[in-house]
Amino acid sequence: MSKTIERVLLDEEFISETDDSVIICRCEEITKGEIRKAVYDGMRNMNEVKRYLRVGMGLCQGQTCTKLVKSIIAKELGINPGEIEVPIPRSPTRPVSMQTYANDGINK
Amino acid sequence: MKRYELIVIGAGPAGLSAAIEAASNGMDVIVFDENSKPGGQLLKQIHKFFGSKAHKAKERGFKIGEELLKEARELGVEVVLNAVVIGIFQNKEVNVMLDGQIKHIKANNIIIATGASENVVPFPGWTMPGVIGAGAAQTMMNIHGLKPGNKILMVGSGNVGLVVAYQLIQAGCMVKAIIDAAPRIGGYGVHATKVARMGVPFYLSHTIKVAYGSEAVEGATIVQVDRNWKAIEGSEKKLDVDTICIAVGLSPMSQLASMAGCDMENNPQKGGTVPICNQYNETSISGIYAAGDVSAIEEASSAMIEGRISGTAVSYNQKYIGKSEFVNRFKEYSESLSQLRQGMFSHENKGRIDLTKTEEGYDISQNLLQNGYLSEKEVIKYPGVVSEKVRKRGIVPIIECTQNIPCDPCQTACSMGCIKIGNTITNLPVVDENSNCIGCGMCVASCSGQAIFLVDENYAPGFAAISMPYELYPLPQKGDKGVALDRAGKVLGEAQVIEVKTIKAMDGTNVLTIKVPLEWSMKARFFKY
Amino acid sequence: MQMMELINKGGDRVIKSDVIIVGGGVISCAIAYNLAKRNIKVIVIEKDHIGAGASSRNGGGVRQSARDPRELPLAIYAIKNLWPYLSKELGVEIEYHKKGNFRLGKTPEHLKILENVVNQGLDAGLELRLLEKDELRKLCPYISNEVVNASYCPTDGHANPMKTTLAFYKNALKLGTKFITGETVKSIILAKGKVSGVKTETNVYEAPEVVLAAGYESKAIANTVGIDIAMRKELIEAIITEAQPQMFSEMIGTAESDFYGHQTEHGSFVFGGSTGLEPFLSDEVKTINKSITAPYICRAVLKYFPIMSSMNIIRTWSGFMDIMADKVPVLSKVKEVPGLTLACGFSGHGFGISPAVGQLISELIINGKPSISLDAFRYDRLKPKG
Repeated sequence: MSKTIERVLLDEEFISETDDSVIICRCEEITKGEIRKAVYDGMRNMNEVKRYLRVGMGLCQGQTCTKLVKSIIAKELGINPGEIEVPIPRSPTRPVSMQTYANDGINK
Repeated sequence: MKRYELIVIGAGPAGLSAAIEAASNGMDVIVFDENSKPGGQLLKQIHKFFGSKAHKAKERGFKIGEELLKEARELGVEVVLNAVVIGIFQNKEVNVMLDGQIKHIKANNIIIATGASENVVPFPGWTMPGVIGAGAAQTMMNIHGLKPGNKILMVGSGNVGLVVAYQLIQAGCMVKAIIDAAPRIGGYGVHATKVARMGVPFYLSHTIKVAYGSEAVEGATIVQVDRNWKAIEGSEKKLDVDTICIAVGLSPMSQLASMAGCDMENNPQKGGTVPICNQYNETSISGIYAAGDVSAIEEASSAMIEGRISGTAVSYNQKYIGKSEFVNRFKEYSESLSQLRQGMFSHENKGRIDLTKTEEGYDISQNLLQNGYLSEKEVIKYPGVVSEKVRKRGIVPIIECTQNIPCDPCQTACSMGCIKIGNTITNLPVVDENSNCIGCGMCVASCSGQAIFLVDENYAPGFAAISMPYELYPLPQKGDKGVALDRAGKVLGEAQVIEVKTIKAMDGTNVLTIKVPLEWSMKARFFKY
Repeated sequence: MQMMELINKGGDRVIKSDVIIVGGGVISCAIAYNLAKRNIKVIVIEKDHIGAGASSRNGGGVRQSARDPRELPLAIYAIKNLWPYLSKELGVEIEYHKKGNFRLGKTPEHLKILENVVNQGLDAGLELRLLEKDELRKLCPYISNEVVNASYCPTDGHANPMKTTLAFYKNALKLGTKFITGETVKSIILAKGKVSGVKTETNVYEAPEVVLAAGYESKAIANTVGIDIAMRKELIEAIITEAQPQMFSEMIGTAESDFYGHQTEHGSFVFGGSTGLEPFLSDEVKTINKSITAPYICRAVLKYFPIMSSMNIIRTWSGFMDIMADKVPVLSKVKEVPGLTLACGFSGHGFGISPAVGQLISELIINGKPSISLDAFRYDRLKPKG
């Protein structure tokens, strides 16, 4: 279960970093800076960042970027990446066409 | 709904081994794999495995894969390919996408053996064509016969990075450098020495700063980092490369276990999010098991044993074998697994920076850890390297194996009993001072780490003959002139090929013998022409 | 300065505020935002994270048509006065599109349902009309030949529920609302017969006003002060496709109610649907997916849009609806427990009216006079049959 936290807004301005333009979520083309800004804006866990930015919502469903996003969020929050809960995986593990899905023979 | 006694998901080393174990006890087993060929990662492993005979040491990965498949099929295991398990639902219901349909099927037991995926490291330019995973490069080369590029930068010095770098050279690519942000090489020393003597430089404590190019990778800048992983200004180095291979670790593909409702944990030592399992590889859901990389990142050899363990556990809980048989099998397998989990690269020792001595008390070569090769002064101290006196007597094996890793094929390779390791397979190999080496070269070919050489200081007045393992094409011929390189890949000078041995029993590792000036007998370790 | 303060379990904190809102979804965040705009001190206590419940698990519909007549004034108000301006006001692109809503029909029975929808809407002053096949195909060329009628409401539309929730949250946070997540409210505390705060597993929060906007979980909390809310839980599931080139801007539904959905700004289609077995499967605690639902939804969609057969589904999700006995929410002060306000039981269609609910509940709390009467949503409205 999530730790109990109170969300605190930073007093200072958002500070850009030199590698903010590096793409982290390749499927949705979300950059490091966008992730950092989302955390700055109040997103405090990976599900919130995901729903705010679409990281991990693309074709690979976070297979490539989840570890990276975790560590960026953790660094912004000053905590261990291990403390960040990842979004839960859901079926299908690979893309399935609607036609294939429709064809499940359940009513036979 | 159709119900199976055992569904295995994944036909890699863990999955096939589990299926074989269960089927050998009489169970009906079905294995689903999303690929068009079974074998998982084994298919593209063209190098010889480590371990002991029981662990299939000395065999090339893809052969092991072929053997497993054959054994599974002979036992009546149904292996279904191009079958994607898209989800595990309540009550152990498995949904498989096959032939344009979704099949709903149930199982009394499920063994999840879905393996792992490659990690990535982002840097400016990493989305350009030319940046690929090391595993992807391996697939391109070894499955599809494609060169991934020409001039390669390898990022990551773990076993994957080192082994793939070697295979890239075999495929005809030039590996310009292997870099790692860590201060020491992460993989086996012998994997590093193989490429170091071919001239590949190592840059430890370096990370990639940027990949540049207009439409694809045309070059990369690497930069040194300090102990806090911060880039040291002014230490940038530009590399002329067209391909950047990323080998920074693997993450278990444990999504199915999570979907099924297994208790999961985030375990960095195991590689990421994994199902919590007991010693029989059973997850928190009774009847669902996880074996191989999906439960913790390790080697294929461990995956095979974990597959066996879960296979025997399922056989026992379905009453195909009795308790005493189960207990015995489990004991045998877990002991075999423990053997593999010893040594310098075991879980307990992983990441340790304070190891300075081997278990026997020899110095661990710091040069090897930081540069990828042993210095001449260091190498003579190890038990696999006989004294000068003994070398003067004639041909001897010189074993430059200096780290405790679980591996012992050399022990049985020598029919003259020159090489000893003992029962603890992590021991450093010892070459008997009274060795009566006949120069057959079997030890040279049998060493999966390619760390054994034959040195004959009596070859001819003023000359020595050095025999080395050689796995590059085109093969040199007797009489060819070229240059000898030292352990660091530096050219020593002219050398000539005096023999090339290619025997079936050596399984693709040729033994190349060159003639060099006597002074180079303990220096020359590679040949280029 | 730390971005978050860890609250120690067993800390025995007592925190005071003007208003406590239980639940961290779009309703709570909208209420908090509206209160915070008027400088009222609010604490929001959420057991998981912001938007973890139905707020991130709904079809994103912003519609008036086919709503219960009691909800219509709220929906009409929200679409006219709030939705079009939200992105600008909240500084977050919430992807609101007012491009209409088709409810599709194939059979004479469907036609009767659609006629009813149209008439009800017209009675309430809504722009609605019935479309015949030809006109429908002109507006929506992708439908199958079997679709013969549709009701069409041009002022309906859709938005992104996840971003809307987080946008309200972000702004409420900026305006000084305290958000505490990972803590579960267990009970309401009374002092001298009036609400004085709430108790969590480990702390006490004091305020004279408490709003329960925690979806189905509001029930158990309300029970602690002798109030029952006539709602049950029901699982819903949805499927998401890969991004597609823009095909539809309208919200889609059917007279049969077998699926609903729309194409998002991102390009992916979101389709929800029910197999009919859900009411019997709802003692789940976790939001799991059933293996039969995604195939079912695909079959349902393909019956109306066969052109989608080769579109890839990349994700499914599920969530819980809190369904009231009469299918509209409880938006009401609880007279017999002064200080308690309920804002839950949205029965699967809360998102579309959420900005209005945010405003109206804040008005209810501030001066008891919401701009639109909430009489129809009183907590004690449900009576036995005879």
